[in-house]
Amino acid sequence: MIDWDYISGLDFGIVWEYRLPLFRGFLLSLVLMVIATVLGFSIGTILAIGARSKIHPVRWLIVAYVEFWRNTPLIVQLVWIHFALPLVTGISTTALQSGLIGLSLNTAAYYSEIVRAGIDSIPSGQWEAADSLGLPKRVKWMRVILPQAIKIIVPPMTSMVIGVFKGTAILSILAVNDLMKVANTISNFTFKPVEIVTAAAIIYFITGSILSWASRRVEKHFQKSER
Amino acid sequence: MDFDYTIITNNYSIFISGLWITLWIVTFSFLSGSIFGLILCIASLRDSGIFFRAARVYVDFFRTTPEMVLIFWAYFCLPPILGLKMSSIVAGTLALSLVSAAFLAEIFRAGIRAVPKEQFEAGKALAIPTFRLWQKVILPQAVRRMMPAFINYLTELLKNSALLSAIGVHELAFEAYSLGARTFRYVEALTLIAVVYFMIIFPISIYARRIEAKLALKTGN
Repeated sequence: MIDWDYISGLDFGIVWEYRLPLFRGFLLSLVLMVIATVLGFSIGTILAIGARSKIHPVRWLIVAYVEFWRNTPLIVQLVWIHFALPLVTGISTTALQSGLIGLSLNTAAYYSEIVRAGIDSIPSGQWEAADSLGLPKRVKWMRVILPQAIKIIVPPMTSMVIGVFKGTAILSILAVNDLMKVANTISNFTFKPVEIVTAAAIIYFITGSILSWASRRVEKHFQKSER
Repeated sequence: MDFDYTIITNNYSIFISGLWITLWIVTFSFLSGSIFGLILCIASLRDSGIFFRAARVYVDFFRTTPEMVLIFWAYFCLPPILGLKMSSIVAGTLALSLVSAAFLAEIFRAGIRAVPKEQFEAGKALAIPTFRLWQKVILPQAVRRMMPAFINYLTELLKNSALLSAIGVHELAFEAYSLGARTFRYVEALTLIAVVYFMIIFPISIYARRIEAKLALKTGN
């Protein structure tokens, strides 16, 4: 079943030879993850607060936005933004820009659900107390609601970071030079797919494992502080 | 910009064939992933031993590595390692099945673990034979608890199936990209498939949410 002659002929030295481009691709993947997480969380929080608006159309629009992004494939969203959106708006975006916009907007939809669940978990007494003290809206959100909600938001939020990291690999199809794209380019160029793509998969796995370990630590920390 | 419907009506047959392939891939991956996932789940039920460790390593690996990477790996690396030719659809479906197995194993395990320990103890105290205990007491409760996540994974799988377009499987997303590239009618083609995906995935996730809400009412958490 397994072609052992082929496996014994593998030359993993090629991975070391191309360590610099691979490392650059890896760094870009991490940067994409961080930017998409920060943008996605910011937009998601605004959406979650907007979802409590008293104006119906605002709420409907936000619900429609969130459902649409959560229920279509990320790869289709990315291709739509890269190829179809410029035809609609007349503004063309580079692969990196399209990828970042798509990944951030997709992440925002997921984060808005997480933040919304956090806000919903705040007992109604807190809202009433803030209102009866006559706190301005800004103070009510920044000092009363969000600091309490964050405890419930953080654990699912950190595990979402792993999802964003996994999503960065999909950006490779737009020719963003992330780790996956770099690995594919090198393996086409050197005809050594097994060495290069396996190395990339291992790098992704190790990074993902570190992220999930960190997210479990954060989760534990927040469970402790609740008691 | 003008929206040209004729591009869709003139080419509806390629969308139908793409959709058909997508549904076929998803059905096959979901079924084989469920079977393999069940085996992995059974292997990891006892919290020690070599089977437990092997199953955990497998589940961890396939859950933390990006699906896109695994699909490329199956496409580029599996054929030379196994020394055989493999079409992109076989490689891609295999990758999706292996990933689904890992996620579904975890869903099954979480369902069984959610059954309170007292249920096992009560069964033992009443001297119910192990097989009967699982059949009549544990599994009905576990299945009810795992159902929302199980159904929800189907939506994930539908979304992930679009990734196979990257290795050239002629499923729905691929057909839309190539039609867009041929005619430069990206807006029509891509919007159509986005809507099609949404119309398939959204009802399933609504259903998953509904049974989750029902379950929460029943179990009180």
